[in-house]
Amino acid sequence: MDERFSGFGAFILYTITAGMMLFILAPLLLVMAASVSDSYFVTFPPQGFTLKWYAKVLQDRDFLEAMRLSILLALGTTAGSLLLGVPAAFALVRGRFFGLAAIKGFLLSPLIFPALVTGLALLQVLTKLGSQDARLNLLIGHVVVTSPYVIRTVVTSLQLVDENLEDAARTLGANRLRTFWRVTLPQIASGVAAGGLFAFMVSFDNYPVTMWLANSEYSPVPLILMRQLVNVFDPSVPAMSTIIILMAMVGVLLLEKLVGLRRALAA
Amino acid sequence: MTTSDDAVTVLTVEAPAVAQRRARWRMALPVGLLAVPMLAFLTYFFFYPAFILLFSSIQTQDSRGIIGRPFTLAHYARLINVELYARVLWTTLRISIITSALATVLAYPVALVMVRSRPMVTRIITLIVIAPLIVSVVVRGYGWQLVLQNGPKGMLNWILMTLHIVDAPISVLYTEVAVVIGSLHVFFPMMVLPLASALGKIDPNLEDAARMLGAPWWKVFLRVTLPLSMPGFVAGFTLVFSLTAGSFVIPAILGGASAVMLGNLIEQQIFVVYDWPFGAAIAVVLVGLVLAVNGFSMWLLEGRRLRRPE
Repeated sequence: MDERFSGFGAFILYTITAGMMLFILAPLLLVMAASVSDSYFVTFPPQGFTLKWYAKVLQDRDFLEAMRLSILLALGTTAGSLLLGVPAAFALVRGRFFGLAAIKGFLLSPLIFPALVTGLALLQVLTKLGSQDARLNLLIGHVVVTSPYVIRTVVTSLQLVDENLEDAARTLGANRLRTFWRVTLPQIASGVAAGGLFAFMVSFDNYPVTMWLANSEYSPVPLILMRQLVNVFDPSVPAMSTIIILMAMVGVLLLEKLVGLRRALAA
Repeated sequence: MTTSDDAVTVLTVEAPAVAQRRARWRMALPVGLLAVPMLAFLTYFFFYPAFILLFSSIQTQDSRGIIGRPFTLAHYARLINVELYARVLWTTLRISIITSALATVLAYPVALVMVRSRPMVTRIITLIVIAPLIVSVVVRGYGWQLVLQNGPKGMLNWILMTLHIVDAPISVLYTEVAVVIGSLHVFFPMMVLPLASALGKIDPNLEDAARMLGAPWWKVFLRVTLPLSMPGFVAGFTLVFSLTAGSFVIPAILGGASAVMLGNLIEQQIFVVYDWPFGAAIAVVLVGLVLAVNGFSMWLLEGRRLRRPE
């Protein structure tokens, strides 16, 4: 096939790669197949065809309520992490001050910290503060874990901006804010959008922080799903899962359109 | 702002070097200040909580649930000395190491094909590798629950029995094997992506040269490709190890009672037993483990100890 791979080596490479693609897709495809199969318990091979589980999900008040909460939370998180993250990224790329590298490490450190522990630590402090509104607590926790992603993508795209263009704008009399708005921002727009989209998706799927900060009144989608899975068996779980899979696919395609997946995820 | 900028422009004409230094100085302060809100937010909601957690792990909780003095290391001792808890620590280490090792072996071929194929193939593989990354971990765990279901109605058992590989259904679900499979699925992209980016930076001429000099494909891989891709391997291994060690959802869904990991133990101590100091101590051990692995990999990467001149 490819000139670089030939002989037995190529055979091994392609076989393992194809096998891994199957491995990655199999559980997701099975969930999707199960969501339209006409049996109470999931069996293989799936039997029959029905859309009744979707009809059930769309009338499931708990699920819809959780969906609403998750979307609002993800939107709030996106706004919060962009508001805090974009200026911070700007400072990291353009600032020349003492301890720059240390501050960068400081700002990105939530990335290597186990999110589970981040959530637990936050719960302890928020409890001490007497902050009882689960929605506010979740928003704070999600901004903590998503802002490093925003900083990282925006830093990457800022590093590609030609500073001469900004100098030119300033020489021509634009003040700094105007320069940023008219010259810099258009150049980093795709990076900012990718960071925001990333923040949205990470927040929407987050479990390890959410599990500590949610309560019975405000439970986002992943928590509701987990509860249905572990505690009570609900035959509409595959349908709920499929809805989440499809939403993720839309997100992935958007990300690919905006900046290209490899670049968006590059460390 | 406009006035100060104008002043800078005027100065530039008079004494460029001095003016530039001044301009930089004036720029430096306000630009740096843009990071302050983010710094303040993380200090208050991330570093301070982490410190409090560390602090409460060496304190004592009284019968009313209030945490305070005396200071003690008893919680750490308990994690190591009580066999039930020590086993959880070992299980976590074992699952994390096996998952990262498996991910490495399987990710090399995928990353190689991803980097060295025609654009269309690269695009499709990238999409398939990355797409599940954004699907909720709960959903992926559920998918594996369906695939691995014990009994003849599970997908894996159906396939194995139809192909006559086994006669009776095997039980994979609720074992460590199931947790490794699930973790591999969840964190596989974290291995492929750094590897692909490292492999992409290797000059293909080096491999061609080795081939032309008569090296067989496996020797080219072992002597040229593998050593040059070490930075990607180290980064990927660290990521997969850290994420697996800190997981909660996958062991909860796929491991059941027989593969409890540190994350599950923490949750149980906090939500069921209400033992905050012990929960905090386990969390500190988990963080220590992850930071140690990350520190070691940073030492390897930044010291450039990986690039052997040969």
